[in-house]
Amino acid sequence: MSDGSVAHRQTVEIGNAVTLEDARLFAGVLAQERDAFEALYRLYHPRLARFLLNLLHRPQLVEEVLNDTVFVVWERSDTFRGASKLSTWIFAIAYRKAMKALRRLDEPVEDRDADMRPSGGDAPDAPFGRHRTQEVLLNALAKLSPDHRTVVDLTYFHEMGYREIAAIMDCPVDTVKTRMFHARRHLRRLMDGELADWL
Amino acid sequence: MAHILPFTTDPHRETRDLMPWLITGRLEPEEKARVEAHLAACEDCSRELAGERALAGEVAELPIATGIGWAAMRDRLDTAARQAAFVPASPPQRRRFTARRIGTILAAQAAMLAAAVTITLRVEAPTAPYHALGSTPAAVGGNAIVVFRPDARESDISRLLKANDARLVDGPTAANAYVLHIPDEARTQVLDRLRGDAAVVLAEPLDTAALR
Repeated sequence: MSDGSVAHRQTVEIGNAVTLEDARLFAGVLAQERDAFEALYRLYHPRLARFLLNLLHRPQLVEEVLNDTVFVVWERSDTFRGASKLSTWIFAIAYRKAMKALRRLDEPVEDRDADMRPSGGDAPDAPFGRHRTQEVLLNALAKLSPDHRTVVDLTYFHEMGYREIAAIMDCPVDTVKTRMFHARRHLRRLMDGELADWL
Repeated sequence: MAHILPFTTDPHRETRDLMPWLITGRLEPEEKARVEAHLAACEDCSRELAGERALAGEVAELPIATGIGWAAMRDRLDTAARQAAFVPASPPQRRRFTARRIGTILAAQAAMLAAAVTITLRVEAPTAPYHALGSTPAAVGGNAIVVFRPDARESDISRLLKANDARLVDGPTAANAYVLHIPDEARTQVLDRLRGDAAVVLAEPLDTAALR
């Protein structure tokens, strides 16, 4: 997967550039400048939307939680002390808001239809190739607990280190490693040989 | 920093735990060195790493996106700004926010006020201390503002005032402007004449109401 590592490097470089932009925009947010806030919103929107949709699995809830999150950034910008990266602070708010929303739903946090889903069995109209792999992976992710899903997404999509993830989820670093380990094991089992096709 | 610290627990387990962050390049240098040293010697873990890379690549490329945007957020800010301005009693956190918002509004107002005061001071600085800002203009209030050339002599100024039936009401202000009273019916023509005079830099009508 040499392509994958190239993609990772590019994202990291963009990540560093974003941090400088973060600082500039956040100064504006502290001064309650709406233009700066809008720019910060637009900067974080794609990442937060992806993070929350992966965590919540309910598009109608994503907008509410995302806006709740950035509203806290606007409203409580003076409580950010710079002890962590701005992105860590924002993602931690998003995570807390999302978990609260899930609890409020008073629904089982696990996938309710897990037992009714075929595990990897092909439907007659099952898609092929890459599209199929993605669909199987999305289904597999849906079967993980929100915490496990969060660690996987923060690690592989948002490319965060385990310390940063621990700060966001407010848990020990060993818990992050353990969650990731179990999540990976589940995913690879649920992928049921899909990934082997790509090796 | 460069020397490799030994694993504190089972090296296989620790390598498998840290693998995801080796793939994304998020390990500390010494962790990376330790894991890579183990991978070089362990076939099982290397195979595991290959499978993990495939998973990592797939997760990173999952098409997860939403169609939500800034519009809802903007509406919410507007609502909050309105509430902040009009809801005085609220729980502590809310009140704190309200205070901040009001602080912002006040700051904006202060900036506008400063601009207004600057103009007002230029015109009214020399007036008597009892001349309140909100009081109705006096019967012989100024209705024009004039700036004479710095080298204009007093005789020139007197000549212009007499010739145009204008009276000096205030001045000079800090900006060396004079407030004049000119008969209302002749104001436009008088101002035109003043502007045409070599001793005058600026001559403009002055409406007190416009300054408020």
